[in-house]
Amino acid sequence: MPLTHRGREILSRVPAGTLQSTVGVGCEIVRHEELCVGCGKCAGNCPSGASERGALFDVNQLLDAPADSRRGALGGALRRLMRHEPDGPVEVPERVTVYRTIVYDNEKCLGCGTCVRGCPAEAIEARPPQADAAPTGSVHAAAPGAPAPEEVCA
Amino acid sequence: MAGAASTTGPGATADRKIVAFCCRECAYAAADASANARTPLPPTVRLVLMPCTGRVSPLHLLSALAEGADGVMVAGCLLGQCHYREGNFHAVDRVAFVQRLLRSVGVEPERCRMFTMSAGEPPKFVAAVREMDRVIGGLPPLPRSEDGGGRKAASAGGASSLAAGEPLVAARGAA
Repeated sequence: MPLTHRGREILSRVPAGTLQSTVGVGCEIVRHEELCVGCGKCAGNCPSGASERGALFDVNQLLDAPADSRRGALGGALRRLMRHEPDGPVEVPERVTVYRTIVYDNEKCLGCGTCVRGCPAEAIEARPPQADAAPTGSVHAAAPGAPAPEEVCA
Repeated sequence: MAGAASTTGPGATADRKIVAFCCRECAYAAADASANARTPLPPTVRLVLMPCTGRVSPLHLLSALAEGADGVMVAGCLLGQCHYREGNFHAVDRVAFVQRLLRSVGVEPERCRMFTMSAGEPPKFVAAVREMDRVIGGLPPLPRSEDGGGRKAASAGGASSLAAGEPLVAARGAA
């Protein structure tokens, strides 16, 4: 999945060779859930509503988090107290900001990378747009007849 | 603290520990005033001074419970009268979140509670502490498992760093 669905659609309307930014529409957004602190900043910044702050929080996300992470510290304390497996997801009050489940919808994502710049935990990565057959970093670099990027952006 | 005599009968709940996270602007001032007035507080309570209850994180509350407290209470300003405008609203929601987490894994949610009072109400602070002492005294001591209840951390070192007593430092370093 080198490109998001919407990103591919948008790129199809862009003249060949005009996009080379590593952060721009059409990036592949890779979310590292194990680093996520659940602050919801990506959801607040998202222009397309692809990331949303979930209202429910799965307690297993705390219990299974890496022990050296922020969530893992809370999960470690909870694990020492627990008498049985979690009943299910718990509802998160409005002002609890960092223990959120972020619901990410790849179909809505533009691949703009705004969430990457807002993420305090560096849990989101934007990979540069690239065609399936073109591992060069430029979207249309492999397209036949496309001018070299330097010529376009000079 | 002035007046170490138990108010609920000698030795009844003396082995329990309650950690009270107190806002500097109100609850801690109320505690100070009640101590100056030589009002006896239950010996179970340990006060922790916080700049604002908005500083109390779920990690503070759960770590205290995991490290030996039988109950934790957050004592802050009256709602709407926070020195920092809305810190105690954050605290209310975080306490509610911790209560839901506790209930989810089978621990009594009453072990974590939020109280509000103003700086000029030492009796209200004393009443809150006694209420908490009464509730915790009615519950069995909080059982803890050193091995994580049979459920291991995703990577080694988590339980041990908590046992070393520096979970907040470790968490900050990782974040």
